[in-house]
Amino acid sequence: MTKLFRAFGVPLSTVILMFSSIWILGLIAAPQLIMIEQSLWRMERPEGAAEISVQIDGLYNQLDVMALDRSTAEAGTDATKRAADLAALDAKEAAINAEIAALEESESTPVKVYTLANFGQMGAAHLAIFAKTIAASLAVSAIALVVCYPIAYAVAKLETPRTAAVIMLALVIPYAINELLRIFAWQMILNQNGPANLLLGLVGLDPVPFLESGTGVFVAMVYAYILFMVFPLYNVLETLDGNQVEAARDLGASTWNIHRRVVIPHARPGIAVGCIMTFMLSAGSYAVPYIMTRGTAAPWFTQLIYNRFFEATNWNVGAAYALSLLAVCTVFIFGMMRLLKVSLKDIAK
Amino acid sequence: MKPAGMGSTLVLRLYMGLFFAYMFLPLGVMVAAGVNSYSPPSITVWQGFTFRWFAEFWADARMWSGLVNSLVIAVAVMALALPMGLSGALLLSQLGRRSAGIAYTVMVSPLLTPGIIIGISTVIFWRNLGATAGLFTAILAQSAFIASYAMLMFMARLQRQDHTLEEAALDLGATRARAFRRITLPFLKPTIVTAAVIAFLQSFENYNTTIFSIGGNHTLVTEIGARMRFGISPMINAIGILFILVTVICAVVWSLLRQRERKREAAA
Repeated sequence: MTKLFRAFGVPLSTVILMFSSIWILGLIAAPQLIMIEQSLWRMERPEGAAEISVQIDGLYNQLDVMALDRSTAEAGTDATKRAADLAALDAKEAAINAEIAALEESESTPVKVYTLANFGQMGAAHLAIFAKTIAASLAVSAIALVVCYPIAYAVAKLETPRTAAVIMLALVIPYAINELLRIFAWQMILNQNGPANLLLGLVGLDPVPFLESGTGVFVAMVYAYILFMVFPLYNVLETLDGNQVEAARDLGASTWNIHRRVVIPHARPGIAVGCIMTFMLSAGSYAVPYIMTRGTAAPWFTQLIYNRFFEATNWNVGAAYALSLLAVCTVFIFGMMRLLKVSLKDIAK
Repeated sequence: MKPAGMGSTLVLRLYMGLFFAYMFLPLGVMVAAGVNSYSPPSITVWQGFTFRWFAEFWADARMWSGLVNSLVIAVAVMALALPMGLSGALLLSQLGRRSAGIAYTVMVSPLLTPGIIIGISTVIFWRNLGATAGLFTAILAQSAFIASYAMLMFMARLQRQDHTLEEAALDLGATRARAFRRITLPFLKPTIVTAAVIAFLQSFENYNTTIFSIGGNHTLVTEIGARMRFGISPMINAIGILFILVTVICAVVWSLLRQRERKREAAA
């Protein structure tokens, strides 16, 4: 910290510290911590609510008994005694009513209880959706890696710089076009009356309900996020020294061995980034399932989260669901870093 | 580089051709439906060329209010994320190894967090402070991760800075603040411009974080998303055509600028 003040002087350092803490604490750390906190409690009936309700029942019984006393008192002949009895009954009744009100208040006022129960709210159906979301996202990552590796390698190592620049431009354009538009294109293609079913019809097949079956979500997801694999791979492969490949070939290595022993080890950071990005975007995608299913197919986990917050308005369970998703992504990130032996510094480039 | 053989080169070319067809054909379908008079958007039923859907977009008040919101948010995000990202990068440059490592992890974490989680945690946080979700929470949620991009760009630039100029200025009696303003800041200027453009685009195009943090309000993109779900009017396709046009122009300009810069660097 003293180093900071020495480097920039007091006024400037103060500004730097101010903006940094707004960002780190106010926009990143505090919201995450509050979300974790929110997932760990819920409002419950207070402890001993059962005894309180027994007590309340007892008090109501007393009131019933007093109604009898009252009719006895009203039947009395002595006017002054009758007035005194009635006044005493009124006072007693008021006291009991006040006590009932107080007890009912404490019985029905929920208290904040810390619990892990919000995570347990995920029944078998939601757990299955959670598992499906993760499995499908892993598949998106794997498909993207297999499809993009040859492209990235070819552009980085086999093409002339001029051709490579043109190809890169052709990759940047679909990458930069808004995600929603790329998804919508597939909604049109896979629609009941869309070109995909038209083609199927031409070869004599029945139309397939792509959108209603959830297949459309997967197809559009691969399309929407596949380019997040190309660029990280290209960036690392561009730095690969062609002489290494050449040397391996001269030493008689097969194409397969060249890739396995030279190219892929070099590409580790790019593979890690590409897999992390495609997995995270898929698992956390709200746009793709929202547009591709039109509410007809089984939901994606992100839609469950959205519903907890904005439709069922159970924020505690919603926070627990969100946290579960975040936990899976975090595990995936660290798993990839471990597996490919790369650090966070290699990843964020 | 020696070719691996004619056969495999041909296979690779074919593969790449297929890949680009896969990338561009769907966009072509969308563009075609945007100028087809048939509604709902379709290319299987062709009813003749029209610009009608552009006119419909022009007359749509909700799209325009969404556009205004998008611009307000994007400008606010630029104003917030740039100073935060720059401060973060400057702070990192002066921290010790250990604390820099921790601070760096926190600063890049928004890039590795699903956007919806950034959005929803911001809303939860501000609801606890009594604020309801709206443009304000959308700005903060977007800034949280857009500042990370800015920070990485500034960090890369700062690592290439030659400190001798700064030291000379200090030797000549300049204050720290003055040396920063006159030397470091001009050095960072190209990055500030790029970071501003990227922050603007990231904010303008964002869907996942925004839809979870904007509450009852809407931006152009969230409104487009809502309309797309039911795919009722080819107006969406018309908007798509406009987006594609802008994107293509930006991409071409960007790549020309990059090429020129590379040539200049090669010449220097």
